[in-house]
Amino acid sequence: MTLKDLQRDMAGCSRCSNCKWVPHNQIKSWRFANVCPSIDHYNFHAYSGSGRMIIGNSILEGRSALTDMVSQIIYRCQLCGACQVSCQTYRDDIDLADVLLALRSTCVEDGFVIPEHLEMIESMKREDNTMHMLKAERGKWAEGLDIPDINAERVEVLFHAGCRFSYDEDLKEILRDWIRLLADAGLKMGIAGKDEACCGGRAYEIGYQGEMKNYAEDMGSRVKASGAHILVTPCSDCYYTFKYLYPKNGLDLPVKILHTTELADILLKEGRFKPKKTLRLKVTYHDPCHLGRRGEVYKAGWTGTNKLDRPVRFKQTGKFGVFDPPRDILRAIPGIELIEMERIREYSWCCGAGGGVLEAEPEFATWTAADRIEEAKSTGAEALVTACPWCERIFKDTTKESGDTLKVFDVLELLNRSLGGR
Amino acid sequence: MLSKDAYRELEDALGKENVSQEPGVLDGYAWQPALNLGKDAWIPRPEAVVLPQTTEEVQAIVRICNKHKVKFKAFSTGWAAWGGPGGPGVVQIDLRRMNRIIAIDERNMFAVVEPYVIGSQLQAEAIKRGLNCHIIGAGPNTSILANVTSGWGYGWTGLYTSYSGRNPLGVEWVLPDGEILMLGSPGSGAGWFTGDGPGPSLRGIMRGWGGAQGGLGVFTKCAVKLYSWPGGPMEPKIQGTLTDIKAEVPETHKIYFLFSPSYERYADLAYKIGNAEIGYVHCKGSVGAMFGLLAPRAMKKLLASPAVRSIAKAFQHYTLFMLAAHTKREFNYQEKVLKKIVQECDSIIFDTSHLPFHAAFWWGVHRSIFPALAFRPGGDFLTSMGSNEAYDCAVLNAVEGEKIKREFIDKGVFIEDMADCSWGGIYEGTSCWGHLEEIAMFDRRTQAPEGRFAYLDAATEATLKKSLGFGLSALGNDMYKVFGPRMHNFHHWQAKVKKAFDPSNAADATFYIPPIDELDS
Repeated sequence: MTLKDLQRDMAGCSRCSNCKWVPHNQIKSWRFANVCPSIDHYNFHAYSGSGRMIIGNSILEGRSALTDMVSQIIYRCQLCGACQVSCQTYRDDIDLADVLLALRSTCVEDGFVIPEHLEMIESMKREDNTMHMLKAERGKWAEGLDIPDINAERVEVLFHAGCRFSYDEDLKEILRDWIRLLADAGLKMGIAGKDEACCGGRAYEIGYQGEMKNYAEDMGSRVKASGAHILVTPCSDCYYTFKYLYPKNGLDLPVKILHTTELADILLKEGRFKPKKTLRLKVTYHDPCHLGRRGEVYKAGWTGTNKLDRPVRFKQTGKFGVFDPPRDILRAIPGIELIEMERIREYSWCCGAGGGVLEAEPEFATWTAADRIEEAKSTGAEALVTACPWCERIFKDTTKESGDTLKVFDVLELLNRSLGGR
Repeated sequence: MLSKDAYRELEDALGKENVSQEPGVLDGYAWQPALNLGKDAWIPRPEAVVLPQTTEEVQAIVRICNKHKVKFKAFSTGWAAWGGPGGPGVVQIDLRRMNRIIAIDERNMFAVVEPYVIGSQLQAEAIKRGLNCHIIGAGPNTSILANVTSGWGYGWTGLYTSYSGRNPLGVEWVLPDGEILMLGSPGSGAGWFTGDGPGPSLRGIMRGWGGAQGGLGVFTKCAVKLYSWPGGPMEPKIQGTLTDIKAEVPETHKIYFLFSPSYERYADLAYKIGNAEIGYVHCKGSVGAMFGLLAPRAMKKLLASPAVRSIAKAFQHYTLFMLAAHTKREFNYQEKVLKKIVQECDSIIFDTSHLPFHAAFWWGVHRSIFPALAFRPGGDFLTSMGSNEAYDCAVLNAVEGEKIKREFIDKGVFIEDMADCSWGGIYEGTSCWGHLEEIAMFDRRTQAPEGRFAYLDAATEATLKKSLGFGLSALGNDMYKVFGPRMHNFHHWQAKVKKAFDPSNAADATFYIPPIDELDS
């Protein structure tokens, strides 16, 4: 979808600034009323969802040009989708998140590229991952585990680890524990090992939209070859790519897609997981943007041009993302006390890592994470729990850097402990 | 044109990161579709935009503008065309970094805020202390400070909390030459508790009825009244974001629809409610608006049916009414009085508390969120009529507004809403006065502006011909030329004030009044 395709959306902006705030009915304090990290950090209106739409409109109308500065504004955004949720609380005819994506592809088409992003794309092309790591080492996280290789046998469930989990030394043990748990629960699950590749979602988000197609086709081939009827991923970015970006671009995968927290929740409710060990811990849960509001399935089927006529069921409201399974898992663990932050579910504050910001604007990414950590601490929680390796990574790094005592966990780590794991 | 020297001085005063002349950034301040009476959504692009964080920085900006003979215009949240430049050569002061609630004085029931504190933020903090604030109908995304110092607005709880002009207390004002004037008690170092003495009592000059829309300098701090939140301190547990809201409504809060058989009986009901001094919210409801805001696509289909329109019309004259009492006993008393009044006015009371949407209505009305939905049918709306007058006159505004709007709906200028979309209520627990403004929804992208201008002209003409008073129709650009001669030449007094406070005409007064010498010429 090009900027031109979205001109009507952009021209509909009333500049009410609701995109800067948590939906007003959910504002519970002065301190945590903001929802957009970009405008909160950089302050000029151009850094808000509305401001970026106005920039798009201005460019299309020839009033202003894409410049290095404007391109920087466009990329100083995590694409967390909070602005769209707030806008669409009151509006039906503006798909703000699509505008943000179109602005980025316009930047790339016009040669306004971010060097760090270019390096990421080169890493993807060369080694099939965003992390500048060797493709040959992608499956190393699973060494020593008794897990089928889909290149050798057919499986019920295909497990897609994603780039971050595959290569992050601190986090890979979470995956290994998870695989052991699922094997204990009797699930026949396989991995692609070194043949697993990036989902391509990050390339799409940073403006290289065409790049995603190859990864999607590759993913589709692996799914078919594996014989799996379920695809499970612990990465919220991959989940969003499979559930939203692929179908939006006509690249649907012929398989049921689950996030690991959804699968764990099912297994808990079926009684195949029985958490027993008491973990005395006050925790708060951070909704990853790409699992929560952006993890909502792509609502295909409406083909009109005037979005004022579009039935509400086709709006990506963000309300139907994955919010309850991780919470239900936490509530099922004896001793865990879940205390909610003010900004949760579809109006959650972003961790700061997404949209290529961690790579290109690390100071902004850390600032965003620090704001979330402050919110988590304000609840009295001892630990911040999440369900995305990118969120976990930046929260761990930020707390370490600031000397904070707040612990950071993945939901699955706590579940594993209660089930008798490490 | 802003000189390089002036720009450099602004950078020195604020830091480079808080000043911009990037065209893409400036256009973020030039796009103003809301309440824009121009043909285009674009307004003049500012020369530069600046982001001060302190009063001293605002003073510095104003002085630099004076020195270099450049105009300035400040806004808080920046919604609506009157917040931006009215012409070329204006520096836009974006006050979003001045965003603190400085104090909430529970005992004396007021808060001191900076310009970028919005309604939902202050209300959230006030309710925790058993207090509430006035949030204008435009919504909780608007600045508390701007509403009380610089503009006109009435909120859902106006029966209890009045309208914007009645809510300011002490004010810190950076005058157009950069000097600071403290209005009210802060002017004599006596705290923020009043806008009048001890200290200069200049509320009438500062804002008059409708506010100077930034044309008299910059307001950097102000105290606003807080009101009792019936039921005491609470932190509402709200699930959902709009119509999906689930919440536990306090047992002493309840919303009713009061259906009257005619405008006359609707007005009688309002007078009796005012005289009885009951209630927390009194607003005229609108069947068309209800459809339009909550189900705009269904509205299109339903209102195409004459039978449905006829049925809906029968319920047109209704009041959205909320009781919010401090005790159960008080609540029972108020409800008993309400039922008696409704009966006396041949009306019907509809208790919504057992319906699934009661919680959503209850919280949405308190937070003033529903007006934001006026964008749903077409993406834009305007308002007109709405004189502050005796409530019978306010009802006449609605009657005339409906007639005029009907013609323009039929011409395709506005979206079909049964033409009864008048909104407002009675003020301050009394039926002596109130207002009803006529909202009209449209799609700026497809409906040409000329029709809207013709409607506004017709609304103004009706206001004058039928002696409907002084209201929102008088707030448009240059409308002082029409209303001033008929209203004791108020525009001359305003222009003299402008000249006295801003002899260099540094504060962009496009949406206020030119200085007297320009006016006379």
